[in-house]
Amino acid sequence: MMESLRRAVLPSIALFLLLASCGGGKPESAGKGAPVSDVPAYGDAIVEGSIGDVSGFLTAVTTDASSHEAAGYVFNGLVRYDKNLKLEGELAESWEISPDGKRITFHLRKGVKWHDGAPFTSDDVMFTYRRMIDPRTPTAYGEDFKQVRRAAAPDPHTFVVEYARPFAPALASWGMHVLPKHLLEKYPDISKSPLNKKPVGTGPYRFVEWKTGEKVVFHVSPDYFEGKPYIARVISRVIPDQATMFLELKSGGVDIMTLTPPQYVRQTETAEFKKSFNKYKYTASGYTYLGFRLSHPFFRDKRVRQAIAHAADKKALIDGVLLGLGQEATGPYKPGTWAFNPGVKKYPHDPARAKALLADAGWKEKDGVLVKDGQPFEFTVLTNAGNDARAKTAAILQQNLAEVGVRMKIRTVEWAAFINEFIDKRKFDAVILGWNITPDPDQFDIWHSSKTGPKELNHVGFANPEVDRLLDEGRSTFDLEKRKNAYFRIQEILAEEQPYVFLYVPEALPVVNNRFRGIVPAPAGITYNFIKWYVPAALRKHKITP
Amino acid sequence: MNGSRSTGSDFARRLLRNRLAAAGGAVILFFFLLSALPGVFSSHEPNRIDIVNILHPPSASHPLGTDDLGRDVLARVVYGARVSLKVGFVAVGIATALGLFVGLLSGFYGGWVDAVLMRFVDMMLCFPTFFLILSVIAFLEPSIWNIMVVIGLTGWMGVARLVRAETLSIKERDFVAAARAQGAGAARIIFRHVLPNTLAPILVAATLGVAGAILTESALSFLGIGVQPPTPSWGNILTAGKDNIEYAWWLSLFPGLAILVTVLGYNLLGEGIRDAADPRLKGR
Repeated sequence: MMESLRRAVLPSIALFLLLASCGGGKPESAGKGAPVSDVPAYGDAIVEGSIGDVSGFLTAVTTDASSHEAAGYVFNGLVRYDKNLKLEGELAESWEISPDGKRITFHLRKGVKWHDGAPFTSDDVMFTYRRMIDPRTPTAYGEDFKQVRRAAAPDPHTFVVEYARPFAPALASWGMHVLPKHLLEKYPDISKSPLNKKPVGTGPYRFVEWKTGEKVVFHVSPDYFEGKPYIARVISRVIPDQATMFLELKSGGVDIMTLTPPQYVRQTETAEFKKSFNKYKYTASGYTYLGFRLSHPFFRDKRVRQAIAHAADKKALIDGVLLGLGQEATGPYKPGTWAFNPGVKKYPHDPARAKALLADAGWKEKDGVLVKDGQPFEFTVLTNAGNDARAKTAAILQQNLAEVGVRMKIRTVEWAAFINEFIDKRKFDAVILGWNITPDPDQFDIWHSSKTGPKELNHVGFANPEVDRLLDEGRSTFDLEKRKNAYFRIQEILAEEQPYVFLYVPEALPVVNNRFRGIVPAPAGITYNFIKWYVPAALRKHKITP
Repeated sequence: MNGSRSTGSDFARRLLRNRLAAAGGAVILFFFLLSALPGVFSSHEPNRIDIVNILHPPSASHPLGTDDLGRDVLARVVYGARVSLKVGFVAVGIATALGLFVGLLSGFYGGWVDAVLMRFVDMMLCFPTFFLILSVIAFLEPSIWNIMVVIGLTGWMGVARLVRAETLSIKERDFVAAARAQGAGAARIIFRHVLPNTLAPILVAATLGVAGAILTESALSFLGIGVQPPTPSWGNILTAGKDNIEYAWWLSLFPGLAILVTVLGYNLLGEGIRDAADPRLKGR
C-alpha cells in the first residue's frame, strides 16, 4: 500500500495507493521512430528492465509496484482507467449506478475464459469480494470492500453491489483483479496458494515462468477478449541497478525502462541514442515529502513545521535531485488534475522567515544551533536505502536546515525494516517518503484520524476534525462540484498545518526501443494501450511465433 | 628473550633498504598526514552542497572536480581518508587483540583448550567472511563503529592460527624452559617470553590486515551498508561515481586511486616487514 523500494518499471496508473516515483501524466514525447513501413504485425518480444523482483502475482496481497505491474499482464479487473484517466469497463461490459448512488450493477463480458479454459462468471467476482473482506486474507486494500452492505450475483453475467450510503471510490475499487474461484477456493489464505507464484488469469498474456531474482516471462493469450496482442512475448528482467540497466538498454538486452533524471538529461541526448530509442516525459502520479511524527515534542508546534517548510529549498531539490525534471508539490494531489487546488498557501525558500517562526516558537540560537529548554534542535530523518533521489534529498535538506540552526541527522534503512520496524511502529522523528497519487482523490486512509493505528497509513498521526469531516463528505457523494470543494478545503488545511512538507512531483521518464510502434502518450502515460504496440515485420528482432 | 638493539636496528636498516617497502611506508605516511590535517589539502567543506556546480570536471577551484551534488571531490577524498584509516586500524586492532588472546591460550596450554579453540576457529573460517559481515550489518544499524567492530570480529582467525603456531614452537625453547625452572608462572612466561617473540609475524599479518579491512569497508560503503552518507568514505564516493561513470570519470577515478594506492602501500610495507624480519634473509 505504501510506496515501495522497488521503483516502478513502467509508469502506469495504479488503482491503489502504493509505489514510489513513477506514474502517468501529460505526454510530452521526444523523438520519433525512423520511417519504416508501419504495418502492425504479430510477433517479437519485449524485454522490460525492472529494479525489483516480483513478490507475488495476486495483487490483493502484494503492495509493491513490480508485482502489480507484472500481474497486470495476466489479470483483469471489472474496470480500469482509460488513457484519459476515466474509468472504463474491462471484465465488466457496462454498469449502472442507481439514482441514489448506493447500488452498482455490473454487466460482465460474456465468453471470457480463464487461461486454463474455465469460463469466467459472476461467481468469480463474488469470490473475489468475499476474499477481500475475509480477515484471513492479508490485504491492504480491504477498506473499500468493507463499505459494501450487500453483494449479489443474480446470474452468471451480472454482479450487484449495494453500499450503505453513496461511496465515491466504489467504482474504482472494482479495478481489483478478479480471482479465479475454481483454483483458489480451497486455500483459506490466498497469499499462500500456488497461484500467487503461477498465476492463471483472464488477461492479455499467460504466465510462462518466474525465475526468482532473474526474470518473469509471459506469452500472448491468443483468444484475449479485447483481441490478440501484437507482441508475442513479454520478458521482465530483474536488474537491481539503474546504471547497469541503462547499459543493457544500449546494448539491446532491455527494450524498455525508466530513466533517471541524470540519464535523461546527460546520457540520452546523442544523435546515436535518439536513432534507436524514443524517450517520453510526463508528470508522474506521485510526490515526495518530508513527514513529521506529529506527537514529537519538536513538531507538535505548527510554527516549527511551517519554519521547516520555509527553510527547505524546493527549487534546489528539483534542480539538484531531479535536474529540473519535476515541479514543486504543494499538497497531496497531482498538479493539473480536477482535485488539485492551485491556490493554497505556499512556502517559498526563506531562511529569515523560518528563523523568525522558530524564534516565535521559543527556539533561541546558541552557537549556531537552536536551543529550547536546554534541548538542542536535533532530530533524525529516516529514509529507505537504495533510493538515490531520496538520499540526495536528505543531504540537501540537511544543509537547508543547518542554515536556520536545526541539526538533522540522516539514517537510511533497508525497505522491509523501514516499514515494519520504524513506520508501522511509529519509531521515527521524521521521514522522507513518497506516495503515489491515485486518480480518485479519496485519501481517507492517509489523513483520517481513525487511520493512525499501527500498520495504518496515517503514520504521522495527523488528526484534524475538519479534515475528518471533509474526507467523509468527499467520498460519500458523486457530485463532482461537492467533492472538489471538499478536497480543495482539505488542501488548504494541509498547506496551513504542514503535517508533511510536500517537496516535489517528479517527471516520469520512460524510454522504449524504437522498433516498437503504436505508442501514443496520453494523460495515463504510455502503457495503457500495450496490447496495440507492435513491431513492423521488417524490424522484428526475435523469432517468436505468437 | 631476544630482540636486542643490534637486531632491532638491523631490522630497520633492512626494511628501509627495501625500496618498495619504503615507498609503501611513504604512501601510508602521506595518507596519515592527509587525515590528520585535511584543511591543509582542501579548502572546501566535504559536505557543502552546491547545486549550481553539479558534476564539474577538475578545475582550478575544484582540482578533482565535483560530485552529483556539487560537493568538492578532493575534500571528500581527503576526509574519506580519515574514515578508511580509522576503520583499518580499529578493525585490525580488534582482530589482532582477539587473535593474540586465542592464539596464545591455545598454543600455550594445548590439550582440550587448544582443541576447543581451534575447532572454533575452523568453524569461524567456514563462514564466507563477507556474507557474515553482511548478515550482521543487516541486524545492526550501519555505522562506522559497527563496521569496525564487525570487520574486527570476523578477521581474527588468521592471527590466532599464526600466534598459536609460533607459541607452540617458542614454548619448547630453552629460554622458556629456563624461565620455568626459575619458577616463573604461566602469565609471566606468556607475556615476558612468548608474546614478544610472536610480534614479527603479527606485525606482518596486521599490516596486510589493514589493507584488507580498508577494502572491506570500501566494499560495504559501496553497497550502501557501510559508512552512511553524507559522511564521505572512499567506498561511498565510488557509488556515486558508478552511476555517473560515462560522463564524470573523475568521480570514480580519484577515490578508486586512493583505495588502490593505500592498499598497495600497506601490502608493500607488510611484505617488507616480513622480509626484514625473516632471519633466513639476514645480511642480504
